[in-house]
Amino acid sequence: MSATETVTQAVGALTRTVTDVLPETIFDLQRQIEECMRRIPTRLNAYGYDPWGFNPDTARRAMLVTALFYRYWFRVETQGIANIPPGRVLLIGNHAGQIALDAAMISCACLLEAEPPRVIRGMGEYWLPTVPWVNELMVRTGSVVGTRKNCIDLLENEEVVIAFPEGIRGMNKLIWERYQLQEFGQGFMRLALETHTPIVPIAVVGSEEQAPAIANVRSLARLLRLPAFPVTLTWPLLGPLGLVPLPVKYRITFGEPMTFEGNPSDEDEVIGEKVEQVKASIATMLARGLAARRSLFW
Amino acid sequence: MARAPVEGPEQLFHFAEAAASARVAPAFEPPRAVAEPIETVLITGIAGGQGRLIARRIAGARCRIIGVDRTPWEGHPADVRMHVVDIRKRKFEDVFRTERPDAVVHHAFVRHFRGDPEVRHEVNVLGTKRLLEYAIAHGVKRMVVLSSAYVYGALPDNPYYVDEEFPLNVSRTYPEVRDLAEVDTLATAFLWRHPDVATAILRPVNTLGYYVQSAIGRYIRQRYVPTILGFNPMMQFIHEEDVAEAVALALQTGAHGVFNVAGPGAVPLKVAIRETGGSAVPIPETIARAVFSRLFRFGLYHTPPGAMDFLKYPCTIDGRGFERATGFKPLFSLEDIFASVRH
Repeated sequence: MSATETVTQAVGALTRTVTDVLPETIFDLQRQIEECMRRIPTRLNAYGYDPWGFNPDTARRAMLVTALFYRYWFRVETQGIANIPPGRVLLIGNHAGQIALDAAMISCACLLEAEPPRVIRGMGEYWLPTVPWVNELMVRTGSVVGTRKNCIDLLENEEVVIAFPEGIRGMNKLIWERYQLQEFGQGFMRLALETHTPIVPIAVVGSEEQAPAIANVRSLARLLRLPAFPVTLTWPLLGPLGLVPLPVKYRITFGEPMTFEGNPSDEDEVIGEKVEQVKASIATMLARGLAARRSLFW
Repeated sequence: MARAPVEGPEQLFHFAEAAASARVAPAFEPPRAVAEPIETVLITGIAGGQGRLIARRIAGARCRIIGVDRTPWEGHPADVRMHVVDIRKRKFEDVFRTERPDAVVHHAFVRHFRGDPEVRHEVNVLGTKRLLEYAIAHGVKRMVVLSSAYVYGALPDNPYYVDEEFPLNVSRTYPEVRDLAEVDTLATAFLWRHPDVATAILRPVNTLGYYVQSAIGRYIRQRYVPTILGFNPMMQFIHEEDVAEAVALALQTGAHGVFNVAGPGAVPLKVAIRETGGSAVPIPETIARAVFSRLFRFGLYHTPPGAMDFLKYPCTIDGRGFERATGFKPLFSLEDIFASVRH
């Protein structure tokens, strides 16, 4: 049997499996997403938009792609989702993986598994609104530009806001720095104090190995005006294909909600102490998750 | 045009009255108790669509209206005293001297680009400066300046729901309208310098309606509406009657401060175009800029390319401050607003 035949057979078998399995699951998923979107507590106007431009119809379609990743690529396991309280809440997590798929997976978990389903409001980078189509997709799926006023307004409207205080420092860390939490920004804590918002710490295990970066070419990033230019095992070696993340197993743990009281304009040291408590909580959950895991891929 | 012009002034007047009486009482007390009845109100720019609506809205209830405009208002109501003067001229001060207004609604601005830019700047900036001087010299007690939400500018990093403390950034990307930002700044300076004059600076969002002449109105009434490919910002709209209502409320309550006047809500630009019966025609930005800036330079098209940013980025405002101060709630829903300009 020649190699070509083997390949043809393999492809044939694969196609059969895909056609046998996929349509059913896709329709199932679609139904499930639609069902969840109907039950979100976010208020919409007569034209189906919320005040920040979120639109369930567009979000539904984008969420289908995310949900396929959630179920079949990363096979996400979610723990403690019931810890998300009703009303306003700030989700604070570790950030890694070169592409913000951790945020997408968390938002999928909150839509498909939380009761009631919630829409996660992301705080986007300042340059995102200048990119054609991306600006619209970002807004329609519930994210906004990450300004202070936007965050306060969303929280006062009892929404779920997600923030990664490691920011770009976490996102572009190299493979040997995985699961080492970088310095946390303090903005989220000041906002939580100002708006009396509970914080739910989140630990994502898996994301930090999805695109193992071995270098970050700063000069190239500056040249291309990108926040970073990571070199992974596959990127830029395989071109666009190199952007596909490894099918690692994701485990997302939602911790107990933490409430803080105090003056939002306190000195950095005072705020810093509170930030450290959140960071420690995430670090503990990460350590527990890493100890429990047997393999990267299942 | 769906709405026939037979809905004449009288009918409109009653309608505004009915709308005013239908208004529910404000949920919380305005900070200043309702001020004593106004006696004489001077309205500048009265002959324009919005000016007429304001005049009709505040006419009646124990107040005399003095109108000032460069163009006459044919068939103005009998209780409006018209003065056809240019606010840049000395004759304008005579109006103050002879009529002794208690309150002023300043609405005489050139917002289009069809005329001489120097005249535009003079009317807007110099006119406002003169008016503010006369107001102090002749003992005006209340003042409403009708600015607009455009002064914040449409920038990619704008928060949704900009509040009144946000800087006036419009001239960063749209230098042709810096005079309107300057007018707003002049009025704000006046507001702080003269705390004894109850001054309200109103910044309403995109105003649509049957009577008002506005750039957004002209834009959205087109059959084929050019948009920027890949952009579809959220936009707020307010009905012209609600703007008149806001002016009346600001006068009645003697509100003092800068206030955003938001309408009933926001929708993406393309939804607004669809709902008013037009079709969006997306054009790549580079082409749109090249074409429209040339057309503008040669005087074939009357909107500068800087206005394009309002088709790309949101300039949406937080109107809660005005609601708290006056109990204002827009009476016209987005459906009503779109219906009023539907082809």
